[in-house]
Order: sequence, then structure tokens, then C-alpha cells
Amino acid sequence: MISIRHLRKEYEEATPLLDVNAEIEKGEVISVIGPSGTGKSTLLRCINALESPTSGQILIDGEDITDKNCKKHLLRRKMGMVFQSFNLFAHLNVIENVMKAPVDLLGKSRQEAYDRGMELLRTVGLADKATAFPDELSGGQKQRVAIARTLATDPEIVLFDEPTSALDPTMVGEVLAVIKSLAKEGLTMMIVTHEMKFARDVSTRVFYMDEGEIYEDGTPEQVFDHPVREKTRQFIRRLKVFEESITSHGFDFLAVNTRLEEFGRRHLVPQKTVRCAETVFEELCVQTLLPLSDGEPDIRMTLEYSEENESADMRISYGGRSFASLGEADPLSAALIGNSATEIAFRETGSAEYPHEITLKLK
Amino acid sequence: MEIKKIENGNELKLAVAGRLDTTSAPELEAEIASMPDVTDSLVLDFSELEYISSAGLRVLLAAQKKMNVKGKMTLTGVNEDVMDVFEITGFSDILTIE
Ligand SMILES: Nc1ncnc2c1ncn2[C@@H]1O[C@H](COP(=O)(O)OP(=O)(O)O)[C@@H](O)[C@H]1O
Ligand SMILES: [Mg+2]
Repeated sequence: MISIRHLRKEYEEATPLLDVNAEIEKGEVISVIGPSGTGKSTLLRCINALESPTSGQILIDGEDITDKNCKKHLLRRKMGMVFQSFNLFAHLNVIENVMKAPVDLLGKSRQEAYDRGMELLRTVGLADKATAFPDELSGGQKQRVAIARTLATDPEIVLFDEPTSALDPTMVGEVLAVIKSLAKEGLTMMIVTHEMKFARDVSTRVFYMDEGEIYEDGTPEQVFDHPVREKTRQFIRRLKVFEESITSHGFDFLAVNTRLEEFGRRHLVPQKTVRCAETVFEELCVQTLLPLSDGEPDIRMTLEYSEENESADMRISYGGRSFASLGEADPLSAALIGNSATEIAFRETGSAEYPHEITLKLK
Repeated sequence: MEIKKIENGNELKLAVAGRLDTTSAPELEAEIASMPDVTDSLVLDFSELEYISSAGLRVLLAAQKKMNVKGKMTLTGVNEDVMDVFEITGFSDILTIE
């Protein structure tokens, strides 16, 4: 369906794509991952003809879109693109946003565009918002409308460029669920994402981009579990670190939990381990250490997750009064902490800032 | 956390959804404190409850003590994670779980 051959893209300051080659078949769901600045967005924009390559070819159903004589607007109709920012028309309501391209560009009747539009809004779970205006919607709802709008032109392939990066963490799930359901229906998609769990679950194939090329290409199992090349390994197996500090008695507990869950989702931390981390954070940091600190608290929590050996280590450093054994905690809290960790150690660090430290190996 | 309340004669049913933790436990505590005098059966529907911490457990313990005097308290729809917490804390022996 799409052949990319020796694609190169130079800008004055950078050459993000040196030599990209790929064959993409109908029905494939490809996640594009990699460090930032490695040309993922540039690749999508070249495929969508928003950008002209410096050299090389992109063939879509046999037609070369880099050819000057090619009718770009016809080819672009075969493709839809969803961006980080939703770019809805603020003066049009939801269904009008979805109907606009089919009516203006494809010449569909308003009735036809409306019927299809409502069907798509049902697909993304927003039929009841058809007459709402964009600024009445949450970020997650806006992005779902943007997806429905893209689907309204019946594209053969949809390109997503970090569709959830601009969203509040609580809204990421609903957008990913919509994309997942489209994958189930067999839509051909290419998705640039940092959501690793999602990439693993939804894709038939993963491109890891680095060094100006598709550095590694394989099934999710190959790329995530058995990466062959050095840079892929580093990217996949890099230690994932999560840090939080409690510096006031009224700190935002809910926000910390949301970030912790987001961290777990992004880095494929098993759900059970995330639960253990939440439990230790609440029972040890919030229920036990926080009440011990007179005045301004200063409790620092670091969670390190290593995908390589699937281990999660938590370190809690704090000042003020020392808490030296689980026996000093409330029995309920102690039982829950004990059930979440395989090892727990208490230590005096000798540092002035954080004299006490507790380290735990989470289950 | 979200609490749905259904009053049916002498029975009060509270369906608790989400997380019962340090920040949300006081809400359930307040709901139970404002229970009508006639209530002699308190049903806590936990089928949508995802997480419970010691703060939630303490509210359950206080509620159980209160209902021991007034009638009975029953928990329904407890999921595996929450059940695990009840078991390691010994709450599964104190509570009536259906
Ligand atoms: N329109 C542009 N003009 C100049 N440089 C660009 C442009 N778009 C991207 N670049 C450069 O190309 C490189 C790759 O960018 P991009 O494709 O956005 O990477 P990614 O999406 O993987 O983070 C970066 O160094 C970026 O600065
Ligand atoms: Mg990008």
C-alpha cells in the first residue's frame, strides 16, 4: 500500500531522515517510537505530503507522491492525520466539524455527511455531544472529535502524531481506547507515541527510529522483548525513574496517584507493581511519615523500575523525626506495607538534608 | 471516588466507586454518620471499588461497630484486589462479605 524508498529529508540545521525504507501493507497498525528529534513527525509529514522529501520516493498504491505531476490532493484524501493539538473549528459545533470535509471537499450531500458523521460520533462515544461546541468539551473529547473528523473522509490510512501528548493524564485512556477499537476494525494506522504499553497492545508492528532511519522494525514482541540493536536496547531497557516530593501537609495526593498510574502505563510497569507503589506511598509516606513531621514536611520518594529484570525499587528519604521499624506504624498500615514489599530496610544516611532513608523492593 | 445512595425502608445501600483512600475516606465516613436512625441494614456495594487503603479500612471498622449495635452491615461485589487487602489485615474475619 505504501512503499518508502531511500527517503531523505534535510533541513538547513538538521537532517532528520537519512535513508528511510519501509513497506506498509493494508491493515497494519504501526507504532513509531524513539527519542525526540529522530524524525518521527517528519516521516509522517512526508507520507502525508505536507513536506517534500529532499530525495527518495514514497509510493502510495503505486503512485509516487514525490513526483511533481502527481495529484497530491487526490492522494492526500486517501490519508487522514490526527495531530497532538486537535485544531477543531471553534465556530462550528461537533457534528459540523465532522461534516465539513466530506461536504466541502468530497461533495457529499449534507444528509449523507450527517448520517456518516453521527455514526462516527457513536464510534468515538460522543453522539450525545453532536451539537456542543469545541470549547464545551474536555481535551480528551476534543481529540475524539478530531479522530471522528479525520475518519469522515474515509481515509485508507490514518497517521497519528502523538495523539495523547497534549492531554491531561486522566484523559489519555479514553483516546487510546478509541484508537484501539479502530485497530480492531482493521483500519491501517501509523501512530507516533510515547505510550509503550499501548504500542505493545495495539500494534502489529513497531518502528524504532534513530540515526536517521528506521533503526529497528519488528513485531511488538521482537522490539520490546528482544531488541537486536544497541540503541533500541538502551531506549527500551533504560531504567525508568519516577520522583515525587511531599513539601506541604496539604499536597495534592490525587495528582500524585494520577502521575504514578500514568508512569506505570507509559513504561509497561505491571499493574500489580503500580498498586504496591501506590500502597507504600499512601501507607508509609502519607499515613506514617507525614504526621511525624512537625512544621514543613520534606519527604522525597523515588521509584526506579527496570524493565530488564522487572524489578521496582522505592527509596524514601526524609528529614525530621526518624521512623525506624514497621512496628512503630499503625498495624493496618504496617500490614499493607508488608504485603507490598519483599524487602524493607531502614538507614541513617548522615546527610543533613535527608538524614533518614527507607528502601523497599516492591512485589 | 463516587458514592451512590439508595434508601429502601430500613435498608441503606451505598455503592462506592473508585478509590477509598486518605483523601476520599472522610466522604464515606460522613455519609455513614448521616445515616437515618431507622436504618438497621447497611449494604456497601463495592463492585466498582478499585482500591482501598488503611484510611478506608478504618472507616469500615467504625461503621461495623456502629452497625453491630443498630443491626447489620454487608459488603457486596468485592473484587480480588480489595479482598486481598481484607485478608491480609484480618478484616475478612470481622466483615460480612457476600
Ligand atoms: N520544519 C522544520 N524546519 C527545520 N527543522 C525541522 C523542521 N521540522 C523538524 N525539524 C528538525 O528535524 C529534527 C526531527 O524533528 P521531528 O521530526 O519533529 O522529530 P520527532 O518527531 O521524532 O521528535 C529536529 O532536529 C527538528 O529540529
Ligand atoms: Mg514529533
